[in-house]
Amino acid sequence: MNQEPQQKNNSLKESLLKRIESEGVCPRSRLFFTCQECFIWSIWLLSVVVGAFAVAVSLFVVTHHQYALYEATHENLFTFMVEVLPYIWMVVFGAMVYLAVFNLRHTKRGYRYSLARILLSSLVLSFAGGSAMQFFGLGYSVDNILGQQMPVYVSQVKLEQKLWQCPDEGRLIGKMVFSTVATATAPAKIIFEDMYGQRWDMDISELSERDVALLNSNQSVRLLGEIKNEKLKSFHACGVFPWMVSKDVTMEDMSHEREMFIESVYDHMKKADERLELLENETYSSSSLKNESVCANIAAVKRMPEKSSN
Amino acid sequence: MEQPLQLPPSDEELVVKTLTDKSYFGELVDRYEAKLSRYVTRLGVNNPDDKLDVLQDIFLKTYRNLNSFDTSMKFSSWIYRIAHNETISWYRKKNVRPEGHLIAESDELISFLSSSEEAADISFDKTKNAEVVGKALGELDDKYRQVIILRFFEHKEYEEISDILKVPVGSVGTLLHRGKKQLASVLNQDEIRI
Repeated sequence: MNQEPQQKNNSLKESLLKRIESEGVCPRSRLFFTCQECFIWSIWLLSVVVGAFAVAVSLFVVTHHQYALYEATHENLFTFMVEVLPYIWMVVFGAMVYLAVFNLRHTKRGYRYSLARILLSSLVLSFAGGSAMQFFGLGYSVDNILGQQMPVYVSQVKLEQKLWQCPDEGRLIGKMVFSTVATATAPAKIIFEDMYGQRWDMDISELSERDVALLNSNQSVRLLGEIKNEKLKSFHACGVFPWMVSKDVTMEDMSHEREMFIESVYDHMKKADERLELLENETYSSSSLKNESVCANIAAVKRMPEKSSN
Repeated sequence: MEQPLQLPPSDEELVVKTLTDKSYFGELVDRYEAKLSRYVTRLGVNNPDDKLDVLQDIFLKTYRNLNSFDTSMKFSSWIYRIAHNETISWYRKKNVRPEGHLIAESDELISFLSSSEEAADISFDKTKNAEVVGKALGELDDKYRQVIILRFFEHKEYEEISDILKVPVGSVGTLLHRGKKQLASVLNQDEIRI
């Protein structure tokens, strides 16, 4: 009576065993599955490592941007941030976190953990790894190497060069290549060579002692000022700032640089106020008009908010 | 003298034996054929020939992948997972949808549904309307239907369902709760009295 289902059962079992025999079906080796699992874990590890690199470079870029001098290059901090944030690395980081989560969930037991836990662990690992890498200067190295090897990649160095090698907007990068001492008959002659090899006849009459010392230091510097004569390639310098894109630069250095920048800008501002006072009191001499401050009118000075009286 | 009681080998022991002697696999087929046949039917494969095809694929895949069996889970959960995946693949391959002829034969499902707020005003008469509930089940989202089938028809524990569907244990409870809500709403929408 109940023979039919039993027969069916047997037929499935028998046909299966027969098929296994005739088709030579064998269980895949344990090694195959171990390799498969290792592969998934390797991809996971790789995505966490690349994610950590993305964090390291982002940290380097974010902490080493020249916030100290943002008024020199941008209207305000917002426009500065929009231009300098490391979008590419943010996207890479996002993609790597997604890949890490995807792979972890596809490991043998990955499904047992909630998405939030897997996501959090991947984020924490990438951030911890990234911070450690940045601590050892890897963020700078990766950014710099990529910048050198890939023309399309805008490294921190390239970005700073783009922002500061802009003579029309009164910014130059380079170093002093020639100077003479001022005599009774002739003023000092300073020749500055920018990063493209263009030589500029520099007017340093409004530079502070610190600026002149920095210019004389034979190091690459950033110059803030204004072109006096495009044809004669003469440039009126208003401020000299060190080239600071390096892994050794600390936040303290940046903060010091900002103080110096603000001091310099307010000095120029003060000169403009003093001149205005002279004009109002009509006590100026004809020579004071001739010596009007160029630096008081550069964009960076105009962007700086008025110094509070207290 | 009394003979010591000889327990039949566990599934896990059979897996180990099969790896050295394929004839032991027949024992595993015997143990699971009926269960998986019912499960596959509940997932919507009703045609006997199709069912046989799916079952063959399930057991062949099981045999091929014996070495990947993770002993931290039950063998039954593992083979149910294969059955679930193979059935879904079969639908995709054939480009068809489940036929939705589930029969709501589970008392547990009826009492589970009665406990729902959304179904508070529905009176249950399981003998008359089990088929209606079954049809309503067919209208549920796949993810809810699969959990309900495993819990109330296959009587699996949360952890087993988690292993079969590869979702966290916590999500099983959430899926069941949402599935119950959706089921009650489908029944209310159709003004079905059960």
